[in-house]
Amino acid sequence: MNNTTLILGNGPCAGIVAENLLTAGAKIIIATRDDTCNFDGSADTGALQIMTQTRLISCKGSVGNFRIHGTQKNKPVTIDAGRVIISEEDQRMPNFSLYGLNGSSNVITLSQMKHLLKDSSSEKTILSEIKKVVFLSGLVKESTPIIAKDVMLFSLLLQKDSNIKTYILTKNLKVAGDGLESLYRDTKNAGTIYIKFTDVAPDIHQNDEDPVRIEFFDEITSKNFRLTPDMTVVDESIVPSEYASDLAKIFDIEIDLSGFVQADNVHRYPVLTNRKGIMVAGPSRSIRDVDDQRIDAENAALAVTGLSGEETKAQKAQVHDGQCIRCLTCYRLCPYHAITLNSRVVVMPDACERCGICATHCPRHAVRIADLEPEAMSALIGTGGGIDKQQTFVPFIVAFCCRRSAARARDLAVCMGYHLPQGLRIVEVPCSGALSYDHIFGALGNNADGVMVLTCHKGNCHSEQGNIYADQTVAQIREMFSRIGFEKERILIQTLASNMGAEFARIAGRFEETIKELGPSRLKKIGLSENSTPTKSKIGKRK
Amino acid sequence: MADKNVLIIGGGVAGLSAAVELAVLGIHVELVEKSDFLGGHAIGYACKAIDNTCVKCGACMVEEKLQSAVSHPNIKVLRGCQIQDISKNHRFSASIRQEPLVIDRKKCTNCGLCLDRCPVDRAILQGFSKNNHPFYAVNKERCLYFKDHSCTICKDECPETAIDLDKSASEHTIEADAVLIATGFQPFNPKNKPYGYGRFKNVVTALELENMLKRSGGAKKPSDDKPPQKVAFIQCVGSRDAKLNHLWCSKVCCGSALRMARLVRERQPETEVTFFYIDVQTFGKDFEPFYREVREDIRMIRAIPADIYETEDQRLKVNFVNHPLHETREDIFDLAILSVGITPGEDIGTLSRIFEVDPDEFGFLKGEHKKMPVSRNGVFTAGTVQGPMSIPEAIATAGSAVWGIIQYLKR
Repeated sequence: MNNTTLILGNGPCAGIVAENLLTAGAKIIIATRDDTCNFDGSADTGALQIMTQTRLISCKGSVGNFRIHGTQKNKPVTIDAGRVIISEEDQRMPNFSLYGLNGSSNVITLSQMKHLLKDSSSEKTILSEIKKVVFLSGLVKESTPIIAKDVMLFSLLLQKDSNIKTYILTKNLKVAGDGLESLYRDTKNAGTIYIKFTDVAPDIHQNDEDPVRIEFFDEITSKNFRLTPDMTVVDESIVPSEYASDLAKIFDIEIDLSGFVQADNVHRYPVLTNRKGIMVAGPSRSIRDVDDQRIDAENAALAVTGLSGEETKAQKAQVHDGQCIRCLTCYRLCPYHAITLNSRVVVMPDACERCGICATHCPRHAVRIADLEPEAMSALIGTGGGIDKQQTFVPFIVAFCCRRSAARARDLAVCMGYHLPQGLRIVEVPCSGALSYDHIFGALGNNADGVMVLTCHKGNCHSEQGNIYADQTVAQIREMFSRIGFEKERILIQTLASNMGAEFARIAGRFEETIKELGPSRLKKIGLSENSTPTKSKIGKRK
Repeated sequence: MADKNVLIIGGGVAGLSAAVELAVLGIHVELVEKSDFLGGHAIGYACKAIDNTCVKCGACMVEEKLQSAVSHPNIKVLRGCQIQDISKNHRFSASIRQEPLVIDRKKCTNCGLCLDRCPVDRAILQGFSKNNHPFYAVNKERCLYFKDHSCTICKDECPETAIDLDKSASEHTIEADAVLIATGFQPFNPKNKPYGYGRFKNVVTALELENMLKRSGGAKKPSDDKPPQKVAFIQCVGSRDAKLNHLWCSKVCCGSALRMARLVRERQPETEVTFFYIDVQTFGKDFEPFYREVREDIRMIRAIPADIYETEDQRLKVNFVNHPLHETREDIFDLAILSVGITPGEDIGTLSRIFEVDPDEFGFLKGEHKKMPVSRNGVFTAGTVQGPMSIPEAIATAGSAVWGIIQYLKR
């Protein structure tokens, strides 16, 4: 077990992570692509190693034992670390094109305005010739509080210190940040004029170095206006750096819609990734302001500490060499990157989270998790349903429920006093991605009249895709059933969250109704099952 | 650190997350909660997934944290508790008053008979999570026994003899090495706003809609329990309000309201939704596509209504200024949802006095660690006691406070 933590990044967030871990007595390596490292901790303690001009190329291993290859000053280098924290800085892209503008001496970005406002005699002169500044923000693409804060702050400085008239043209003003509503009031009191648009956007015309001409219909006064500012400031979009995106590929980390290095999945919040031992903090994971970055940095430090003593006794996936043909299906599908390739295919037990996706999808049945095997689970199903006192058919319904979501929703439904079907049998699974044809046929073979697969919502699966694999499996079975003339309605897949007690009861109730209408399953093993004597006669009648 | 003890005040999502993080590191936690239930406001929030897809509201995380907290041996929970005083002489010594917990935790089987038989509305409260055991509590403010001893039906009918209405309050002393204040927020009370809240049955808060969705899965009119045809969401009730000196955006209401609006539209397609707002705030990483769908599905009006009147048939007449045309318009709705803001908790005054921490200009407790990594005096804050924030943010501030606490304990 390697106790060193590798921190990737050279910004404030990486710095706070480093500082926190050093204070806590941890060993760290900071690796940055830059020529110099901004973190000024003393390297003499032996706890800190700084690597500049370092780029990573690949990563092998699992939590506690990562082996990372890369280059340092263009020479190959190997880094061994127990954990990795990705906290590369984001980047700001000017939104010129969104407004049909080109950058020029009088059309600048928010970052350029920030430089102008910094004290410097030559730059002051530029501002001293200016009387009117227009800020364009969030007019085409929705903005964020971080950008809105800059817009308002710069506008306030221009109004107050340089006596420049400022206009902020925006759609939705993003004030969902600390102190932003107050800042908004301050800018208004200082004389900044806000023009808010709802459905239409202003017409913006640029002709070389001439002042930009902005024409619009004002919703408040119902009048047409024209602005010709001496300077137009264009807002920016915050996006992940290219290197952060590279790191996502190198470490096999799920990304979000905008390419930030963390899946948009509540189970990963705040700093976890799909790979145990690899954390992501600050601007690498999302658009984060200064306070957020500090909070992330502390959470990352905490996550590193928390990982050290973790042990679990549950059974992990195992590859049975004799059957493995190295097709690499398991390697491709494992959401946790827990499978490594040496001369053989090997599961790294520390990284395996028992979702069972590998076992289900292995075409040779070479990967197995003993207690999730169809036979083992069939034994849990037992028997149920039959005929009640009124001689009516009580369907035996098997519900495979994700441990984190549907199984908990069922508990809540019971607690809330909802009526659940009499013949309902719950089988908890770590992830519905573990369910194969064999599990579902096993349930039908166990005399189930209907089988429900109740899984997590899309985007909420702890194993990212487990619920989607389950959906595919069920869709294939239903398709097959309709081809062979068996009622496909006997198989149902639905998504639920742990707090959906009412919805669980509704889904189970409706399914029971469906099965009652269909009658007992033709797959019931007549005469074999100890409880099915009354059901047998009913089946007989159907035939 | 196994000999260390941390006192957490407040059993909402921030307090629970912090408790779990500390407990897994082997630190003992005493978690005191004022109410009868753990989970804070957020345990009553509904899952707002649309089209079988998670919208990242974080409500399920509260359930998960609660489950982990109640099952961890290092966490001791005391419900019905309030801090009376605290002294510090190397360690903290907190005196706690515990209101009587009328329903015996060990005997109660959650059968619900007390609620069924109780003659008074809301005198028996029902929890929101099966991890809150017992699932029921006696509301002393409405219970007749606590008013004039005139009713003992619940006690008499309880098959487990789990109810003892004569139980008396108790005092406890808790010794701790560090304290985390996670007392959360107070939803803005809109009774003084001209929207008829508290007078018109079909004017409810967004929190009440959350609870309604969680309990029954749908939006209904409180007046007749039927689904509404037309629903109005009114944003910024008690937020961004200069008259109240509430110069803050509550950050989470746009997300919560629009997600609920879409959920209502999905589950009850015949219900029309109108959304009154000032500025729609960005929430979630998939805001752009979400907002695009919202604008197709929901009528968006950029105005905050002036007032609401009730019609004779218990419908609601909402007056607002329609800007481009400069006219005052009125529209009729069946249900109005007020997105009430996040305001400082009612105990902030007491807490800041006991702990000698000054609230910020608006009355929230930022706590010392906001500025420095290790709090000097061993008192930390997490969650909405610091100011408005979402469930994921509350969890993140809890982690950050826990990191601070560990460094403080190691010093």
